[in-house]
Amino acid sequence: MLADFQQALADLVASPPLCNAVRADETVLAQRYCLSERERARLQAMARHRGMQAACSVYRMNRITPLMMNLRATLQALGERLPGLCSRYWAEHASGHTHFYLESARFCEWLAPRLAADDPAQAALVQDWAQVREALAVALSLEGDSDPR
Amino acid sequence: MVASLPRRPRVGLLYNPSTPALLAHAPELVEHVSAMPDRFWFDFGQGPEAGGGPRFRHLRPALAELAQALPGRSLAGHGLGLSLPSALPLDEGMLAAVSEVSEALGGFAWYSEHLSVFATPRARVPNAQAGLGLPLAYEQAQLELLLPKLRRLAQRLGCRVLLENPAQFTPVPDMDYSEPEFLNLLHQQGACGTLLDLHNLLVCARNGVADPQDYLDALDPEAVEEVHLAGGDEFGGFYMDSHASLTPPEVWDWAYDFLPRCRRLRAITLEYQESYFELLGLPALSRELERMHALAEHCAQPAAPELSHAG
Repeated sequence: MLADFQQALADLVASPPLCNAVRADETVLAQRYCLSERERARLQAMARHRGMQAACSVYRMNRITPLMMNLRATLQALGERLPGLCSRYWAEHASGHTHFYLESARFCEWLAPRLAADDPAQAALVQDWAQVREALAVALSLEGDSDPR
Repeated sequence: MVASLPRRPRVGLLYNPSTPALLAHAPELVEHVSAMPDRFWFDFGQGPEAGGGPRFRHLRPALAELAQALPGRSLAGHGLGLSLPSALPLDEGMLAAVSEVSEALGGFAWYSEHLSVFATPRARVPNAQAGLGLPLAYEQAQLELLLPKLRRLAQRLGCRVLLENPAQFTPVPDMDYSEPEFLNLLHQQGACGTLLDLHNLLVCARNGVADPQDYLDALDPEAVEEVHLAGGDEFGGFYMDSHASLTPPEVWDWAYDFLPRCRRLRAITLEYQESYFELLGLPALSRELERMHALAEHCAQPAAPELSHAG
C-alpha cells in the first residue's frame, strides 16, 4: 500500500544499515511493511541503486545542518561520540523539524539526560541550549499582529 | 472576458534573507518574487511540543520586510510543507497558514509545491520532514491521491497551483507513467500546471535518473507556467541540487531550446542558496539576472489566454 511504500522509502534514506539489510535479504521489506509485490520490487531495486548512497548522505547532511549551525560547541565537545549519538537520535526522531531552532532545542532535550554531570560536553550543551532558547524567544517576541502592508 | 498572460515571462528569484540586498543592488532586474510561506512561521505542531499554545506563530517582521519588496513585482508562493503526494490527508491547518501568509501579502499570483514526499505517514512530529524529497511512483493510485488535494489547494488559495519536478538520485522502476507523462496528466485533468526546474532535470540527468532530451520531448509545453534556474555542485561522485553556483551551460541550452514553446510561461525564477550568497556575489547574481532577461525576450510571443485556477 502507498503509505507503507512511502514510509519504507523514508526509512531507507534515513538508515544506511536498513539499506544494507534490504540488499542482503529480500524478505526484510516484506517483514516490516505492507507492500504489494510491485512496491517491494521497486524498493529492493532502489536500495541497490548507487544513488541510494547519495540520498542517505543528503538525509544526514540535512539532519546535521541545524545542529551544526546552532550547537557548534556541543558537537565539537562530543568529538568521536557524535556520529553514534546522531544515529541514535535520528533513529528515535526519524523526522526532523523544519525549523532549525526547534530541531536544535529538541536535540538538546534528548542529549541532556544522556550526558553525565561531569561530561566535558555538558557545559557546551548548557551554553548552546540557552542561546537557542534565547534566539527562539527573540524570534517569537518580534511577532506582532500588525498587517505587514 | 478572458485574461491574457504577459507577452514574455517575468524574471525573478526565490526570496531569502539576502534578497533585499540584491534588490537594492539591481532593483530593475527583478520583476517577480517567489516566497516560501514556510519561512514565515514557526510550526510547533499539535502535540505536547506546542505547549498548549497555537500551532503556528507567524513571523510578522519577516513578512513586513518581504512586503516592502513587492510593489511593482508579482508574487508567487512556493511551498514544500504540504507534501501533497504523501499518503496522508491534506494538512488543513498548514493550508490555513499558507492562506494567511498569502492574504497578508495581498494574494499569491500562483502557488507551487513539489512533486516529492516530505512528510511520511508514520512521522512522530507534525509537519515533520523526511530530510529530503522522496521520489514518487507515478501510477494511478498516486494520481488519484493528488487530484483532490490539488483542487482543494487551488480553491482555498484562489489561484493557480503548479507542481515542481524533483531532483532525484534513484530512479523508481516499473511505473505506469514517466514523470513528464504524469505532469501532463495533471495538467490535462485541470488540476495544476508544471513548474519546470531545469536544474533538477540536470541533477537527474547527471545521476543517471533521466534523459533530459527524452524528458523535454515528452513534457507538454502548454503545461509549463514557471521555470526554475539554479546551479549545483559535486559531492561524493554525485551531482547535488545545492543551489551553490550559477546556472550551468546545459541548463541555459535547454532553456533556450524548450522555453519558447511554453506560451503560458509566467516567470523564470532564479534559486540560490542563502549560505552561498557572499561567495556568488552581487555582481555575478546581477549578470545572471541580465542573462535571464535576454532569455525572457527570446521567449516573447503573442499573449496566450490564461487558464482558470479552478481548472
